[in-house]
Amino acid sequence: MRALKTRLDDSTFELNLAPMLDIIVAIIPMLLLSVVFVEITVIDTPIPQAVEKAVAAANEKNKDVVQVRMGVAADKSVNITITDRGATKEYSVASVKAADGATQADLDGLHGQVMAIKKEYPDVFRMELNPSDSIPLNEIVGVMDAVRTTRAVDGKQVKVSFTDSTTGKPIETNLLFPDIVFGNVAGG
Amino acid sequence: MGIRNRRGMGRYIDQRISSTFKIQITSMVDMFVILLVFLLKSYSTSPVQITASDQLTLPASTSTKDPVDVLKLVVSKSGIFVDEKKIVELKDGVLAVEDVDANDTQFIRALYTELDEQAKKTRVIASQNSELEFDGKVVMQAERTLPYDVLRKVMYTSMMAGYADVKIAVMLKD
Repeated sequence: MRALKTRLDDSTFELNLAPMLDIIVAIIPMLLLSVVFVEITVIDTPIPQAVEKAVAAANEKNKDVVQVRMGVAADKSVNITITDRGATKEYSVASVKAADGATQADLDGLHGQVMAIKKEYPDVFRMELNPSDSIPLNEIVGVMDAVRTTRAVDGKQVKVSFTDSTTGKPIETNLLFPDIVFGNVAGG
Repeated sequence: MGIRNRRGMGRYIDQRISSTFKIQITSMVDMFVILLVFLLKSYSTSPVQITASDQLTLPASTSTKDPVDVLKLVVSKSGIFVDEKKIVELKDGVLAVEDVDANDTQFIRALYTELDEQAKKTRVIASQNSELEFDGKVVMQAERTLPYDVLRKVMYTSMMAGYADVKIAVMLKD
């Protein structure tokens, strides 16, 4: 009977968690020091390597032919001017009232307008942005977001296609006007 | 009699309560593992660090481009900083008239002097180290409510000092 009890005792054992606890206690302070709750990114051109060359080539080709300029007026309305081989086209997106009564740029309307322009000029990626002096940075960033990439519809990113001028092959991308430059910084 | 006594002593030794005990740490380890997973998820080695302040809230954007380790230019409501050194005082986001050049209303003289010095330092290092080159990149962390008027002056001045590739730091929108 005693021998049976001894065998039963041997078949179970307790895991020694103390060394694991030591490691975790050492790691946690290190991770606490480098923890971030807000992720910082920068606004730039998130172009995949394969597409980058085609976009650069398209920009170079259209540099003096097609120019897209976007102005944000003090009343938050957005005006887009396209100069295509000397001819000028103008588009305007009026501002809207927010829920709190404040006037703001119509970002959805602007995005729709830019999508329509992109269909007409699929190989133009550069846009000159000229905000008014009173426009705050968060509104400028919102406008840049609206024109930089396509949006997702039903969880699927909308793609636009253009022809690579160097290879002649069609390329699909989610980029609209990723190459945004502030046109009025140098005394515009 | 003697045998009975030994059995009684043996039973006593078997049944007595031990004076030492083991701490049950399984649940504590469970808790630490959950904490560890959460902290690993929030771990960041980003070169751009911001100090929480009511004077500086970055705008939110959908941009997912990772920040680069270049010169940091901070424009908060209280001042303009270059690598955490205060260069120009702002009063609630407004630039004082004397800080702007009289001949060129877009030019901030003190900021130019500091940025020019930084550019010279980088060029000297680049001349000694072939792996480095001065590419004129600067990450600008700016308060989201500041008007474009102030930011334009800062960008214009940095462009004059050779920092023409300005990257705007933003918070990633969910």
